[in-house]
Amino acid sequence: MVLSKTVSDAGHAPVIAEHGLRALELLGATDEPPVDVILLDLEMPELDGYETLARLKGDERFRHLPVIVISAVDDLASVVRCIEIGATDYLPKPFNAALLRARLNASLAEKRLADLRLEYLEQVARVVDAAAAVEAGSFESASLEAVAARTDALGQLARVFQRMAREVAERERRLEAQVQQLRIQIDEARADRKIAEITETEYFRDLQRRAASLRIDADSDGLG
Amino acid sequence: MARLISVHSFRGGTGKSNTTANIALLLAQQGRQVGVVDLDIQSPGIHVIFGFDQDRSMSHSLNDYLWGTCELRAAAHDVTPGANGGPAGRIWLVPSSIRPMDIARVMQEGYDVNRLNEGLRALIDALSLDVLLLDTHPGINEETLLSIAMSNILVIVLRPDEQDYEGTRVTVEVARRLGVPRMLLVVNKAPDVFDRKAIAQQVEQIYSCPVAAVLPHSEDLMVLSSSGVFAGRYPDHPLTALYRDIAAQLG
Repeated sequence: MVLSKTVSDAGHAPVIAEHGLRALELLGATDEPPVDVILLDLEMPELDGYETLARLKGDERFRHLPVIVISAVDDLASVVRCIEIGATDYLPKPFNAALLRARLNASLAEKRLADLRLEYLEQVARVVDAAAAVEAGSFESASLEAVAARTDALGQLARVFQRMAREVAERERRLEAQVQQLRIQIDEARADRKIAEITETEYFRDLQRRAASLRIDADSDGLG
Repeated sequence: MARLISVHSFRGGTGKSNTTANIALLLAQQGRQVGVVDLDIQSPGIHVIFGFDQDRSMSHSLNDYLWGTCELRAAAHDVTPGANGGPAGRIWLVPSSIRPMDIARVMQEGYDVNRLNEGLRALIDALSLDVLLLDTHPGINEETLLSIAMSNILVIVLRPDEQDYEGTRVTVEVARRLGVPRMLLVVNKAPDVFDRKAIAQQVEQIYSCPVAAVLPHSEDLMVLSSSGVFAGRYPDHPLTALYRDIAAQLG
């Protein structure tokens, strides 16, 4: 409980699990893990620290959480084993409060950076998905809102992408409307005047009289 | 029996000559004897599409016949492409002279339209033609009215634009009054954004006249320009398939 108090005193909110299995239960109970860093004892009932650490690092949901191993087991082999499994740091018991605070803060800073990187990659993936959606004709501008709200270059890319997709969609709508509007407009009165100009001439009347005799007597079956 | 087919358009630039040349080639490939007469005396051009060099190969032209200096048969030149592997039928072209003096003379003096009719009949007999295609001058004047009047089939080539729609209305009505037995419309150079089926339906409805094909605007055809018959150069092209549809409706 000294550990819990040191963590509280450092301004953090500890969540306590009695053993490894309980810790995994707590972590898995919510969509997002409820903690930013894990302090892990190696000697515990139910599930010891090594196995707990292995399960944490083997789980996609928890892999990114920094784990600081704190244990009385201070032989070098244990330290090496924990680091190999994926522990971020190792503190021997009894722990030094100042050292714990420093390690905790370093791990938290690293976690935040990792979170930012993860978020960045997720948002890059959203832009990539958006490009595929544009190709498939299923793009929704709202899908990029979160990325577009960023103030960095990725945010600008998302905003430019949204604008261009909007313009393309707008152009396609206009073209579709144009196809809809492909109504054949003929000024009938003007056409009639032109027809009259042609057909009311003596030449035309004469041609009309002679037309049948001018035509070759083609086989009638092919001429419908 | 032979049939005389006029290919006409109300305005220039519709692709009338290209359409005529492609139909001619595809009919010849079906084994038909095909005659093509360039009746666009004021601005002849279809000979270029057939690769016919007037300076080197032309003994007589349509102009010579109209002035009474030769029979029309003497002005007909075999332009069937590819002696080996070429079409089973033949294409006989009666070119119009591109010499400025000849064009000026026809424009100034006109010609005896009855003589044209007689000549075409004699040409059909002399060459045992199955089909005689007339590549007319765009617009309506006495000569084009005669071509239309003589036709067993009138093919009107139009682009999907307002001016052509109105002009085609005039041509269709005039042809009806001349009793042309059969008319077909070819909508050419349709932009990709238009639904070609929708165009065909609307055009058929508005003119009460069948649409033989709606041909898309083709970059490939533009690239080939007038230096060859498209269907010969690109036999498997989708545009050639559409030309083939038209030919099938005329054959």
